[in-house]
Amino acid sequence: MSATAVRHWRAQRISALALIPLVLWLVESLLTHLGEDRAQVQAWLGQPIPAVLAAALIAVTFFHLALGVRVVLEDYVQTPGRLAAALIANRVACWALGLIALAAVATLAFGF
Amino acid sequence: MTPAERPLSPHLQIYRPQLTSVLSITHRGTGLALGIGAVFFVWWLSGAAWSAACFAAAQAFWGSWLGKLLLLGWTFSLFYHLLNGVRHLLWDIGFGFDLRSTYRTGWMVVVFSVLLTLFAFGGGLYAWGSP
Repeated sequence: MSATAVRHWRAQRISALALIPLVLWLVESLLTHLGEDRAQVQAWLGQPIPAVLAAALIAVTFFHLALGVRVVLEDYVQTPGRLAAALIANRVACWALGLIALAAVATLAFGF
Repeated sequence: MTPAERPLSPHLQIYRPQLTSVLSITHRGTGLALGIGAVFFVWWLSGAAWSAACFAAAQAFWGSWLGKLLLLGWTFSLFYHLLNGVRHLLWDIGFGFDLRSTYRTGWMVVVFSVLLTLFAFGGGLYAWGSP
């Protein structure tokens, strides 16, 4: 178990470091683009650099979120069976949301 | 066998809240709030990619007072989790771990999260042209 815990600890920190610049980019982006209409948002994420940064932000965010929610569940869900189910649900939800978001960015970037 | 009458360890609500414990639980709370925010972000992004109706619904939601209130909460959550996260990373490399520094950086996190939230949210309202 300890190897798992060390990996979890390290992954949480590395993803946190990666999120610092990505989140600052997100704030700047949302200030600029959240009020825009659909065509403007499509044009923005149709460019290569915003699309790559958005994809990186999505991947690291859901990875970091899954790690964080796991710790909260392990702390507060006391029944072993429920905990196991909650941990699986957490992973499934984070993977699903991350993949949907990545697919959306890919659609906008490549114009499917 | 009846359990012996042992003293229970002091429970959370016995203690007077301290800055350190409040900031710690707030880090968790804001992290979870940002997770919920990420779901709304995926909704908006999916609309941009696949559905005009979905995008319009997301836009209308951001424009509503409830949407703006949630955005305000997410803006604060983001800056708080970011700044307090940096505080945690500094602790991890051994910086600022004494009690005095812990309190000083704690208050810095509170003040700067509020200032950045007001700055960014004010800028957002101005940029979207909906005061």
